[in-house]
Amino acid sequence: MKQAIISCLILFSLLADSTASAGEPIWEEKTEALGAITTMPSGTLSSAQLKTLTQIGLDLFTAKFTRLDGAGRPAATQAIIPTKARHKATQAFSRLAGPDSLACSSCHNDPVVGGAGDFITNVFVSEGFTNANFDTTDPQFSNERGTNHLFGAGLLELLAREMSNELAALRSKALNQAARNNAPVKILLITKGVSFGSITAMPDGLVDLKHVEGVDTDLVIRPFSQKGVMASLRQFTINAMNHHHGMQASERYGDRWTGNKDFDEDTHNDELTPTDISALVAWQATLRPPIAKKPSSKNWQQAAAKGEHVFNEYGCATCHMKSLPLSSLTFQDPGSFDVSGTLNSMAVKTPASYDLNKLAWAKQLPRNDKGEVLVPLFGDLKRHKMTDRTVAILGNELLSQRFVGRDIFMTAELWGIGSTSPYGHRNDFTTLEGIILAHGGEGRDARDAYKAAPKEERSSLIAYLKTLVIK
Amino acid sequence: MKYKFTSVLAFSFLANVLTSTFAAEPFTFDIPSMKEQAKDAGLTHSYDGPWEFFVGGGVASFDCNGDRLPDLVLSGGSSPAQLFINKSPTAGALKFTSAPLGLSKRDATKVLGAYPVNIDNDAHTDLVLLRLGENIILKGGPNCSFTKANHTLAFNGGAEWTTGFAATWEKNSPYPTLAFGNYVDRTAPGSPWGTCSDNVLARPLSTSKKLPNYSEPIALTPAYCSLSMLFTDWNKSGQPALRVTNDRQYYRGGQEQLWRIPERGAPRQFTKAQGWKPLRIWGMGISEADLDQDGIPEYALSSMGDTMLQTLDKEDDTDRPTYRDEAFAKQMTAHRPYTGTDLNPSTGWHTQFADFNNDTRLDLFIAKGNVEAMPDFAKFDPDNMLLGGLKNKFFEAGDKAGIARNTRGRGAAVIDLNADGMLDLVVVNRKANVSLFRNQGTQTSWGHRPLGNWIGIELDNGKINRNAIGAKVTVKTGNLTQSRTIQIGGGHASGQLGFVHFGLGVAERTKIRVQWPNGDWSHEYRVFSNNFVQISRNKPDALYWYPKPIGTK
Repeated sequence: MKQAIISCLILFSLLADSTASAGEPIWEEKTEALGAITTMPSGTLSSAQLKTLTQIGLDLFTAKFTRLDGAGRPAATQAIIPTKARHKATQAFSRLAGPDSLACSSCHNDPVVGGAGDFITNVFVSEGFTNANFDTTDPQFSNERGTNHLFGAGLLELLAREMSNELAALRSKALNQAARNNAPVKILLITKGVSFGSITAMPDGLVDLKHVEGVDTDLVIRPFSQKGVMASLRQFTINAMNHHHGMQASERYGDRWTGNKDFDEDTHNDELTPTDISALVAWQATLRPPIAKKPSSKNWQQAAAKGEHVFNEYGCATCHMKSLPLSSLTFQDPGSFDVSGTLNSMAVKTPASYDLNKLAWAKQLPRNDKGEVLVPLFGDLKRHKMTDRTVAILGNELLSQRFVGRDIFMTAELWGIGSTSPYGHRNDFTTLEGIILAHGGEGRDARDAYKAAPKEERSSLIAYLKTLVIK
Repeated sequence: MKYKFTSVLAFSFLANVLTSTFAAEPFTFDIPSMKEQAKDAGLTHSYDGPWEFFVGGGVASFDCNGDRLPDLVLSGGSSPAQLFINKSPTAGALKFTSAPLGLSKRDATKVLGAYPVNIDNDAHTDLVLLRLGENIILKGGPNCSFTKANHTLAFNGGAEWTTGFAATWEKNSPYPTLAFGNYVDRTAPGSPWGTCSDNVLARPLSTSKKLPNYSEPIALTPAYCSLSMLFTDWNKSGQPALRVTNDRQYYRGGQEQLWRIPERGAPRQFTKAQGWKPLRIWGMGISEADLDQDGIPEYALSSMGDTMLQTLDKEDDTDRPTYRDEAFAKQMTAHRPYTGTDLNPSTGWHTQFADFNNDTRLDLFIAKGNVEAMPDFAKFDPDNMLLGGLKNKFFEAGDKAGIARNTRGRGAAVIDLNADGMLDLVVVNRKANVSLFRNQGTQTSWGHRPLGNWIGIELDNGKINRNAIGAKVTVKTGNLTQSRTIQIGGGHASGQLGFVHFGLGVAERTKIRVQWPNGDWSHEYRVFSNNFVQISRNKPDALYWYPKPIGTK
């Protein structure tokens, strides 16, 4: 512990005054926060250190990156694997293939910075390997997606990590049992009350995964994106920085992997250092979670109370689980579930560690009798098929994403939904009723129950959902 | 000052990182840190003997006890061949225990090489031992038990000096065709110069028993003192040919060879008229890789002096086996020691393409070492680790990786011995203990960090040719496609059987397709990086395989 604190002190020793860095005038068209820390955060961070780090993270999140910062990627595509463009881009922006904005907060701003975005902030998700320079909204080239809010993102990642660890432990248990008994062992994959199907372990160490449900075959819960395909804020941040701004993180696009410090050929080397990414992660990870507000009027309160009841009764809470228990609020960055191309805990001497418990908002979170925090996410961090033969409007994508079928999505966490219209993965629905009625597939029963309910009951559900806001 | 200092200690950790060992190198990709630990791992073994054992010194790596960790059989020359069972903990220090091979004292000695191959299609891998004298087929049994099967298989091991081996399943054959490369005929008048024994092709005869019969071998004449051979689909025809590398030290009028092996017909050597250009080298070892991903393999040929990289000449008719050399252009001639003061030419033996640093670029390992005391060749001749770099050029990293030792390497295997996804290295040395290098990842100022992502793939072809010898495995990450062909043969007297390893760089997942030995293409398998997977041709999904968790015995 002592060692960790010392290393932390060392590593925070160079939080520099960026204005002094090159004697440049204050009006220079550059982002001051870039490179503000020159040493990688490490060990247990004090409250003051975390405050500084998150301030830099906020500044980077809201920064309008410029060409002088390295914004733009003329010779690289938006791909998550460094990929050269076939033709060098001649314009700074492309509304479709990107870069499509200067700042993270250009889209994540509703109702406040870090929030979601209106339809105009939709982005076009494409692997970027082929058809990198698509200039059409034809869904055979990309999937159009709305902007999610980031509030409570640190808690989501912590939940996912604990669940992934529990699933891995179940897999090990089955393997050990199978080896011991010299016979196959089937084990149910249940963590935090969420079932992810089952696996069958063989005595020789092979694992049959065909009955795994709602999670990738490596049993890693990836909590971010509409599809649940990003393992960490760090991974998402690196992807998004390249895609949307052409700001390339050296830990993936740098010379260790590409042989070039300026992979996108915009004359800027190592545009985002690992410490820049750490700051962005810290700001996002420490964002307060949305809350369930107490409505101002008595009749809304009454309606919301009834709505909460029908929320359970219709079966909405089967997937939109009101809360999941979280054992530890210690956030480690880099984490252990990222793989090479995103820094992980094995790739640094000592990851930075900060206790979200010390943040003011943590005290408001309910706890169970085990002392676990009940994270009020209204989700299950599991993917579900959202279409059937008659209700298929959410199956409007043509491209699967990262092995996830085109009509399969991670349960949208409903916390903050009262602040983040429009709804649906493409922001297609202007009302909550609209998105409820769009639920097919595994959401069909709840949707039908809602549809069949009296108007007043349906209204009460809306009243309840409207209390889940970002404050 | 917008961002305030929060502590008083003021020196830069990052600066230390940036000035670490490799910061000044133009090669920016990872260099694996290889730690030699043979003796600590329990590997005590030397390849010894007189002139006949100046060549050979092979190692077979394969799993003989069902735990999927590669076990090792090391040839010993005048010393006995030895079997070592792999007891390495997952991602831990390498560990082996010696076990009996079940051979008589006579059979255990004079072994020059060893190749694993499942000849009888049962659940256990068999083993072919190349010897000075009778070659031996060992039928594999449970728990690393072996039984001599020459009589059972009607296999005449001959009396030659055998130094090369390759196996393939010819079309519709339930059992493999075996090729043996023979060296100098010491009994012929004028030996050793110009007296090369014929090579041998042993095709399985149909039999009512559930075993092949190798009683009618075919002589491959002419032969030019072969030191390595490999069945290869050189022109994507689906019909493997036999590539043979020969030692010009002893042949007269010889050259490198490529044999057409027609179904049921007699083998025929490709001729100059058919496009084969005579090439005369001290051929010691062959390895194959499709470096430019055009579906047509390139061949690394070790020799004395320059290593060759043979690529099909695309300016010629691609139906003709006309090759040109690209080793110089790719900076991989490895013609003399890369460190030390000895500037004499090198002597290359085992060659093997592999991705040591998991960066998706294939690397080339070459075992090096003076034949014995040849004064015109380097005495200090360290093994090469040529890492693939930008623009298809290679970068010598043997010294920085820690494998530049004063040994005389012969056979070798580049394999993952502790199931951590990073390729380790075993090198059989003449008159010195075997070298065993554990790949620790990249050295940093604070320790080692993992390399790029990876995938290990095991194929199950079903009841015949269980290990899918001849299959092509293709993995796709982003726009990059990599492929490997599953082969038994080549190298220098050394063969490997086990997971096929691909480095995946920064990719967190990959798509795999297999062209099975009969030419059928599989559907696409989608798997996540950093896993071992098994692909069976009759199963729709890949199974994952997990080694014992770290920290368990």
